[in-house]
Amino acid sequence: MKKKVLAVLLGGCMVAGLVAGCGSKDNGTAADGGEGGEGGGSSYHFEVVVKSFQSTYWQAAIQGIDAAVEELGVTVNTTGPNAESDIADQVQQLNNAISQKPDGIALAANDQSAVIPSLQDALDAGIPVVCFDTGVPDAPEGSVIATIATDNESAGAVAAENMYEVIKDTIANATEQVRIGEVNQDATSANISGRGMGFINKMKELIEADGKTVAVVGNQYYVDQVENNGDEGSADVIIEVAVPAQTTVELSSTEASNIMTKEDTIAIFGSNQVTAEGVLTANQNLSVLAATPDEGIVGVGFDAGATLKAAVADGTLIGAVTQAPVDQGNLAIKALYDYCEGKEVKDIATDSYWYDAENMEEADIAPNLYD
Amino acid sequence: MANRTVSKTAGTKRSFIDRMGGQKFIVLIIVIVMFIFFCAMSPQFRKYTTVVSILDYSYYIALMAIGVTFPLLTAGVDLSIGTGLICYSLIGGYLVVHQDWPVAAGMLVTVLMGVIFGVINGCLVALMDLPAFLATLCTCMITRGFGALVVGGFGIPWPTAAAPGGWFRSIFKIKIADWNIPIGFLWILLLVVIMSFVLNHTKMGRYTRAIGSNKEATRLSGVNVKFYHVMAYVICGLFAGLASIAYSAIFATVQPGSGAGFELDAIGGAIVGGTSMTGAVGSITGTLVGVFVICLLKTGLPFIGLTANWQQIITGFVLIAAVLFDILKRKKEGN
Repeated sequence: MKKKVLAVLLGGCMVAGLVAGCGSKDNGTAADGGEGGEGGGSSYHFEVVVKSFQSTYWQAAIQGIDAAVEELGVTVNTTGPNAESDIADQVQQLNNAISQKPDGIALAANDQSAVIPSLQDALDAGIPVVCFDTGVPDAPEGSVIATIATDNESAGAVAAENMYEVIKDTIANATEQVRIGEVNQDATSANISGRGMGFINKMKELIEADGKTVAVVGNQYYVDQVENNGDEGSADVIIEVAVPAQTTVELSSTEASNIMTKEDTIAIFGSNQVTAEGVLTANQNLSVLAATPDEGIVGVGFDAGATLKAAVADGTLIGAVTQAPVDQGNLAIKALYDYCEGKEVKDIATDSYWYDAENMEEADIAPNLYD
Repeated sequence: MANRTVSKTAGTKRSFIDRMGGQKFIVLIIVIVMFIFFCAMSPQFRKYTTVVSILDYSYYIALMAIGVTFPLLTAGVDLSIGTGLICYSLIGGYLVVHQDWPVAAGMLVTVLMGVIFGVINGCLVALMDLPAFLATLCTCMITRGFGALVVGGFGIPWPTAAAPGGWFRSIFKIKIADWNIPIGFLWILLLVVIMSFVLNHTKMGRYTRAIGSNKEATRLSGVNVKFYHVMAYVICGLFAGLASIAYSAIFATVQPGSGAGFELDAIGGAIVGGTSMTGAVGSITGTLVGVFVICLLKTGLPFIGLTANWQQIITGFVLIAAVLFDILKRKKEGN
């Protein structure tokens, strides 16, 4: 009996925590939009489900959402799980959002297949969904009215192109095998795996165009997607892909150190904010990152945040790729609004930019470099 | 139950292993074997920088584990230390980075926050009789939300080593002629010695064990059980605060929303090191050795090429083995 009471208490506590947790995050956006909407006669309410509140990336997206809320006079309620790996939590939050019967939902899906049943429910309930940041390719026909996302394949390719510029002479002149590392956050979300593959495919293409051979090794999920993979023993260049057990800086850094301590490593790419910070944390002990492969290992990051920006500014990383989170959040709300107003909406591919110490301050780059 | 520790020392037929310290001796050997194994398997692992990395990432876990040993000895637990650590670091760091407080003041706030949450946990468990698991799960949620709320969801970069105020990073690591010297380990050893003394030679330590062994009997013998029970959580909170400083000093940025799961590394370390989940049995030195099992697994498994999923499976099995060992040992002792 005692145990049952405890179990019920625990269950209640968890639910309470969930409600409290979600509630506290809503405040900012809901309060902002609360006023203006009613007067205009076109007061729509939208639910937004982001990937997590863990990364400052999402705070930047929320800035964009807030700006749209103010401009259009709609109300928005933003929720999201604690971490991008909390897939089940996010599905539940999406279901809750659907049951609120909003005029529209903006979703950044953590897992492309887990959200499909919910998208069907939204379709049945007549609620339009805009996907931002990450698309859901297999969504039920008609449920997703528009996708607003970075073209991640090309964002990964941008990183590869800029890295290759710096390391191509070393690869061309190498007499022995050389290694390029890549640390990826996970192997489930389309945008991060797309980004990782975009980098791998572009790098492979560039190296092979210059007459060298490439073998991709490491995480099976990525290796399996590589076409015409070379032989690890005889390839001129090895691309080693690592995925940490959890997306913490510490575990990313362990994976990064493993690659960065290998003698033949000439470059490394951290494919999102946490893994790029992992590369930098590993470098605190190794001190191997450098501007050229002759001096050490060339590092490239992704996204922004204070630590990454500082590392790019002082040349520890030769540069990084940033997306346009502010625009994405903003455009997602605008697309929902336009749809409700009966206008036509379509998919938008937002830009990703290469930034380095030189161009960080430029007008089209700086706003996307959030702290 | 109350004289379990007494009967252990008074036993007549003590094996070699027991004389050497029991489970922690075995675990120490496991640590050494694991280290040699990883060194043999991976040329990257056999590097000085890897050793420094392992130590770097062990400080905050070790500090949390030393602290959480006290609630564990009272047959309780503290699940709030992981998210608490991040919360305290965010708030301390926020004051330093955004309010221009001196770093020392930020650090003091960090530790004080830990103590305050220790008092809250202690009051909930010892005075209001909430189950420790439940009470600290709730404070775990509270700290996670609270930290993120204060900083507005943005990560906090404590000053870098080269920046003004970056001196605190050299508490744990100093650089002499291109060599990183992990001096943090000395602080950890010092704290292990101090807390071992507290646990074994002061009233605080003896009553902590007594509460975990038989709370009612301890109360009837005239001990202010409530006070010492609260104090076990305060010590835990204090060490979570210290762990928070270690974390801030090692990592460049502290991200709100992270920290969940850190407590399991610490609790896992304590248990591998011979602390019993049912209270009374355990030691600080054992906890330290246990933490190194966890840290070696976390660092070593990626180095020998095992991917993420395998790392978690193996860590899980190691914990099962440690708990089973504890249960079998107690069965043998007739408890």
